Order: sequence, then C-alpha cells, then structure tokens
Amino acid sequence: MDASQSSRRQFLKVFGTAAVVGSLAPEVWAKPKTTSLTILHTNDVHSRLEPFPMDGSRNAGRGGIVRRATLIEQIRNEQPNVLLFDAGDIFQGTPYFNVYKGEPEILAMNRMGYDGGTIGNHDFDGGMDNMVTQFGKAAFPFLIANYDFKNTAMNGRTEPYRVFKKDGLRIGVFGLGIQPEGLITKELYRETRYLDPIEVGNEVAATLRNDKKCDYVICLSHLGYQYNDKTVSDRVFASRSRNIDLIIGGHTHTFLDAPVNVLNQDGLPVLINQVGFAGIYLGRIDLMFERGKAKMATEGKAVDVKS
Amino acid sequence: MRFPKTLLIPVLTLLITACQTGYHLTNQAYSRVQVDSLAAPADSGMARFLQPYSQQLGQTMNEVLVESAVPLNKARPESALNNLLADAMLQYGQQKLGQPVDCSHLNYGGIRTNLPQGPIRIGNIYEVMPFDNQLTLLTLKGSMLREFFEYFIGNQAEENALIVGGVRVTIKNNLLTSIEFTNGKTFDPNQNYTVLVSDYIANRGGGTAFLKDAVRRQDFPITIRDVFIDYFRQLGKSGKPINPTTDGRITIQ
Repeated sequence: MDASQSSRRQFLKVFGTAAVVGSLAPEVWAKPKTTSLTILHTNDVHSRLEPFPMDGSRNAGRGGIVRRATLIEQIRNEQPNVLLFDAGDIFQGTPYFNVYKGEPEILAMNRMGYDGGTIGNHDFDGGMDNMVTQFGKAAFPFLIANYDFKNTAMNGRTEPYRVFKKDGLRIGVFGLGIQPEGLITKELYRETRYLDPIEVGNEVAATLRNDKKCDYVICLSHLGYQYNDKTVSDRVFASRSRNIDLIIGGHTHTFLDAPVNVLNQDGLPVLINQVGFAGIYLGRIDLMFERGKAKMATEGKAVDVKS
Repeated sequence: MRFPKTLLIPVLTLLITACQTGYHLTNQAYSRVQVDSLAAPADSGMARFLQPYSQQLGQTMNEVLVESAVPLNKARPESALNNLLADAMLQYGQQKLGQPVDCSHLNYGGIRTNLPQGPIRIGNIYEVMPFDNQLTLLTLKGSMLREFFEYFIGNQAEENALIVGGVRVTIKNNLLTSIEFTNGKTFDPNQNYTVLVSDYIANRGGGTAFLKDAVRRQDFPITIRDVFIDYFRQLGKSGKPINPTTDGRITIQ
C-alpha cells in the first residue's frame, strides 16, 4: 500500500461519519467506477404510426409505434441508463398527418419517453402555427441550434442544447437543421433564419464540452448523411467539427448497416449513424464509460464499433 | 462526533475536483433493431392510444365525396379525368386565392392512378395524388407560357402529355398553333398571363429549367390533393352522379 492509497482510506473513513457528505457513495473513490449509457434513436419516421400495410411490398409489416413502444420498454428494463432521440421529420407521409396535423405522432413519442428531438424540413409542413400547437404537446424538448426563430411563432419554443445527467454522466445534446430555402415553401418557414451549421455546431459543442463539462456530446442532425456536391452533410460537418462524439442523422433516409467513423479537426473519430426512415429500425448504441480522464489522449475515442 | 472545520474544507475541495474529472468512453457497441412482429409484440397500451385516431381516420378516408357514373381514367392526349383535375385547380385559384388566374396546368406523371365508377372517396383522392405538392401561381410572358405548354407535348418531357384548364389549344407537329383562353383573353406572346401549377413543376422538378425566368412566382400552402378533395366534395353536393366527358380542349392536327 502506498501513501496516497493510505491517505485516501483515511479520508473515506472520515467521510463515512461526516453527515454533510453522507449521501455520497464512498466507493466512487475506492476504485475506477464504470457506467453505461444506451442511446436509442429514430429519424424520418414520417407519420408512420401504423406498420406498412401487408401488401407484399418490401417493408410490409415493418415499423409502427405499437411494436417500437414494446422494444423501447424491453431495453429500458434491461439497461439502467437509456436516452431516446429523434433526428427530425416526425411529420408528413401518411394520412394521419393530413388529418391530425401531427398530434398522435407527438403524443406517441411522449408515451415512449423520448428525451429530445430536432426539427426536420417536413416538420414545417403544417406551417409554423401548427408547429407551435403540436410541439407544445411534447413532453420532450426540440433541440435546434442553427434556426433563429426570433421573428416567428416558434420564438422561445426550442432550445439549442440540453445536458442530460445519467448516473453521474453528463451528456450534451444539440440539434442542427437543414437549409430551408429551396426545400421548404417560404410561407411555411416564414422568417426562420438559417445559421451556418458548421459554425454554430462547433460553438455549441465547445460550450457543451468545456463550459458544461459534458463527458459525451451528441448532435441530432437533419442535414443529411452525404451529398455529391458541397452541400453541408453529416460527413462534411463531422470532418470540420471538434468536440462531437456522435451524430444521429436524418433527412437522406440512409440505411447505414453500422455507424460510420469520420475523423474530425483533431483527428478524433466522430460516429455518424442514421436508420433509414419510417421507424423500420430502431438504432441502438451502447456506450461504456470509466470515471476519470483517459490515460492517453485518444483512449476512449478510437474504439471499434461492434455490431 | 465533532469534526474540525479546517479538515472539512480540503476534503470537500478534493471531492469536487474528483467529480469534475468526469468520465471517458472505454467501449461501444451498436445494433439496429428491425421493428416488426418478430422483434416485439404490440404494446397494448399504445394500441389503445392509437385506436381512436385510426378508427376516425378510416371514417375520414371512407367519406364519399361524389358518385361517378363512369370510371375516370388518365389518358393522352385528353381525358375527362385530366380535364376535371386541371379545372379543380383553376376553380380553386379563381375562387379562393384572391388572384387573377388565367389557366392551370397539371403534370401527367403527378396523377398516380384512376378513379373508379361509383363512389369516389377521400381515400381514392389520396391514391390519385399521394404527394404533398402545393399550388404555385406563375406569371409568365405569353411566349414562355407557350414554351411551357410545348415542353409537355414535345419530346423533352418525361411524360409526353399536356393537361390544362382555362385554355383550349391546337397542336401540330408537337408545337402549339393556337391558344384560346376561356376567360376571353387573347393570346399575345408579349403579354403576361398567370398559370396555376404544382410547386414541383415550378421548382423545375419536371425539368422545366426555363421557369427560373418567370415574371413572378407565388406559393400557396395548400396541397393539390386538398384542392381536389374540395372540388369533388362540391360536385357531390347536388346529390347526382357526375358523368364528365372530354370537351376537346386539346386538338391535335
């Protein structure tokens, strides 16, 4: 036993009897503490509340909230720390949206315990006033850092980011939306100002990492996975980013077999994932953490993704 | 037990410092869960939640708008269905948009199926127009309007068919030899006219790149599907079945 261990035991002994810190578990000091986090995610569900009809088409019987709800519940029963996110385009795609304007989509997400979502271009399809009405029914925050809603009905109804705390872990989550111009009818997005996602994304990520002391930083993105031209995509953003660990993407309806690693400005991998559309799949990422700083600069970063 | 204050402060400082070192990632795993009957049974609570929405939706989709005495099929160069749908857009534009609308245009490929003989339900209209394309009013110089129409009868367009409302046209060798407006206006290549189109077409989705030089563009947040539903519902108010026929608005010489 070396001197530091000896003195630590001395402290623990002291703590055990100190009423002021009595609620803190002493074993966090005694050995490296590990914890886990399970991230579940969807994107571009497009009002697919019911599974695709059993008409012999490729996706017949897939998707739908009644089975997704069971799956999420099962995972919550098995895992202590679960976060559930959506990367936008909750609305539009089935007559449910045309008739109910998004209410059952949002209420179903409440029931499944979504922790946050970002805004997709089709979420504007009912107009800004409808967005206010329907998003107002959400029990979870809409996170978007690069839409300035100041001169719209949505002003003050979104947050750029939120810090989630799970078993001592601090998980910073922010959202990025796609350029509405040329994609969304102007009457629908009105005076929404689109801000550069790379610039804003890096600012927010730095805030989460440095000021908010987040252990893990997640971007919910509706930028799209990849384009043939220079349009900002998740891959482009990842390569020009810092301080982001995971991008949960949407918009391009990309079915990734497994998440993809892209190196960021610091040469560290950013994990990008997207699970197609319509809730056909539920994405799941299981993360293990250990208390304290990584021994090497890259430790805890360059870890293979096992599927 | 009494505790010296001098010892407590450094202890707390150490504890806070230890907490601030945070966590680092040591391992990660990924899986993608297909949501189907093999993966999970239905959640009964969620099923109960959805049931009233789904039931009412079924009723909405089953609403009979009008009865048709004949099957209504899309066809080239002209059909009763083609004309009816273009007229629906024109009438909506003239009555509800508060803008002078000279004519309307619908892309042939945008009509996805035919309408049956007998009751026409909202669900049928969803099948005819599953897309959420919206109305756009373009102001075009006469010469561009002619170029626009000719694009859909010429070989450039994917679907070689012209569907219009508010105009009668004569086609010879894939070119227009006459354009007559039903509102009495005379065609002049140098005058401006308004044409109601799908925003898909206005966005050059059909390949009509020259529309970027339109005099004016106004977008309206109403889907063409809702325009059709509105129109068929109005037709049904008389209580009599419709029996639409072609009116020769497209003449090929």
